[in-house]
Amino acid sequence: MENKSMCLALFSGSVDKLTAAGVILSGAAADDMDVDIYVLLQAARAFKKDIADDSSKLAMAENVDLKEEFLTSLKKLNVKTWVEFFKEAKEITNVKIHICGLAGKIWDGEKLEDFIDLADDIVGISEYITATQEADVNLFI
Amino acid sequence: MTQEELQALTVSKSVDARGTACPGPLLEAKKAIGTIGSGDIMEILSADEGTKRDIPKWANKKGHEYLGTVEDSGFFKIYLKKG
Repeated sequence: MENKSMCLALFSGSVDKLTAAGVILSGAAADDMDVDIYVLLQAARAFKKDIADDSSKLAMAENVDLKEEFLTSLKKLNVKTWVEFFKEAKEITNVKIHICGLAGKIWDGEKLEDFIDLADDIVGISEYITATQEADVNLFI
Repeated sequence: MTQEELQALTVSKSVDARGTACPGPLLEAKKAIGTIGSGDIMEILSADEGTKRDIPKWANKKGHEYLGTVEDSGFFKIYLKKG
């Protein structure tokens, strides 16, 4: 049986939403789904090498004043960081991470090397639209 | 299976995922089941309440057999037979 596919438009660059995306991605990996992630505007900044692993440079989408409590709690519960979630999912299932070309430029990321190694390529919007039409599940985070 | 039957099973693989919260145990189970043969038994130790429902549902969906869960002190053991 062919694997089900998921297309995730990842807009958010906030640490809470990226963590949620990581948890969903883990579930998709356990289910052997093929996943295409399109890294849009704010998320492209989070994927930059000098930012991804530094939570002090990432915002919170909600309950912004509880960011430290959120991060401390994740650590206490032994929850992976959002980057670790994405990395592990890539090791388990077929996950492709595409950086939006415009988004990259906005945050001074012209080349693939400007982003963490998990990123596979830099693409235009047409690829995203095609992926949404072909995927079994579409998500926007 | 009864609790006694579950406890008496010979397991090919035991995964101790008590140190992780959801989705940790699920991914540990996913990775470990690839290392055993069809028909082999695997147990997953977890203290994460969500996992109690998550792993049986996942296992049945992926063609493995959920045999049952044994409660222990502060954690539980989920038994699966690989399909």
